[in-house]
Amino acid sequence: MSVFMDLNITAGTDKAKLQSTIETAAHLGYSTVAINYVVEGQKKKQLIPTPQPLAELFETFPTVQGKSRPIKVLNRLTVVATDASHFRPTNEYKNFDLLAVHPKTDKLFHAACMNYDVDIICISATEPQSFHFKRSPVNGAIERGVFFEISYSAGIRDPTMKKYTITNAVNLISVCKGKNVIVASGAEAPLNLRGPYDIANLGLIFGLSEGDSKAAVSTNCRSVVLHGETRGTALGIIHTMKRPQLPTEQPEEEIPAAKKAKTDDGSLIV
Amino acid sequence: MVRLKARYLLCEVCMSERSMLRLLEEKDIFQAVKTAVTTAHGQYGLALFNIGSAVRYVNAYTGVVMLRFRKAHYQLLWSALPFITSIWKQGQRVPCFFNCIHVGGTIRTCQKFLIRYSRQQLFRMLPHCKTEAEKQQVRKAVLSCSLNQLRQDDDDDDNDDYDDDNDDDDGK
Repeated sequence: MSVFMDLNITAGTDKAKLQSTIETAAHLGYSTVAINYVVEGQKKKQLIPTPQPLAELFETFPTVQGKSRPIKVLNRLTVVATDASHFRPTNEYKNFDLLAVHPKTDKLFHAACMNYDVDIICISATEPQSFHFKRSPVNGAIERGVFFEISYSAGIRDPTMKKYTITNAVNLISVCKGKNVIVASGAEAPLNLRGPYDIANLGLIFGLSEGDSKAAVSTNCRSVVLHGETRGTALGIIHTMKRPQLPTEQPEEEIPAAKKAKTDDGSLIV
Repeated sequence: MVRLKARYLLCEVCMSERSMLRLLEEKDIFQAVKTAVTTAHGQYGLALFNIGSAVRYVNAYTGVVMLRFRKAHYQLLWSALPFITSIWKQGQRVPCFFNCIHVGGTIRTCQKFLIRYSRQQLFRMLPHCKTEAEKQQVRKAVLSCSLNQLRQDDDDDDNDDYDDDNDDDDGK
């Protein structure tokens, strides 16, 4: 059985609420969650938040239901873009494990699908979509391995939002044919979360097939996390990092004499 | 033999406060599900809900409920369950949500699953115990629920199940 993930838990100001939300997620059987920080593009010079260190959040992470491992928590940044200037890849974006963009216009959606270096493209759940999903950018996104996210918690809170969520989701899924879709909660409170099996079944309303809707909470999310990991590397092949400071003592003394081989010019080959 | 096939959904009712679980009653849950189906799928949903749907088991200690739907359209009715946000109890709104833990074809398979599941819950409880007496109590409860016992006596298994869940709550 595959593991379940919920890649959108809204980071509020209330730490206790976030803690209990993550605990509930662990209880429901999600083995990975991502805390979502949102940046609204419109406001001038809004600072990109720095993610809260995870060690501060929990002393010991709660154990996942049905597994013996603790829950894995990631950080995620969502950029709400209404203008092309809002999405500027800076170094601050690198503090986050996952990067998502929420395009509000047709042009930005096209750019997000084809060019932007992101993991997730969010689909609006609280308002009617102002543009149609076209096949060519969506296919481009699928080819690049970028995923589309449907969040369900707004729909649970409010019947009007539910209408918009379902409309937008069905619109998207008819275009992308059920491929590269993830369903995440977007929950602010523990009572907005739902169990993974319920969500897998809820996908049937959105027009996903049984296999696709299960993949939307499990294997597709895994692909997103892996995509996020490879974003910081060169094509997922090379990864550069700072070397930790070595202890001052020279390693030469540690090597036993038997293992040293002397060459003709006297240099050591270890 | 032809029989009408059903699907049994084992759901866990999650509330912010565990003490509120004691108030769970069969008819309130039935009403909550019925309203949710009506708001999600309208008259058509309600029509399907009226055929062969029932609440078969409620455990007020652990918050586990078992819902029965016809197999032909259980997925449609199930899709309404995530939209339940509260249960009305004597004119009082209790916020909660339903979390489906198992879908079975017979009551028996659900029961087997539930025993295994309750046992898992006891194991999860063990690290949270504070005193040694509590720990012993949980350990005893773990030993008392086993599938072997179920195989031996088919008749008494309903009682067994109740016992387990009671112990479950004591440990907490």
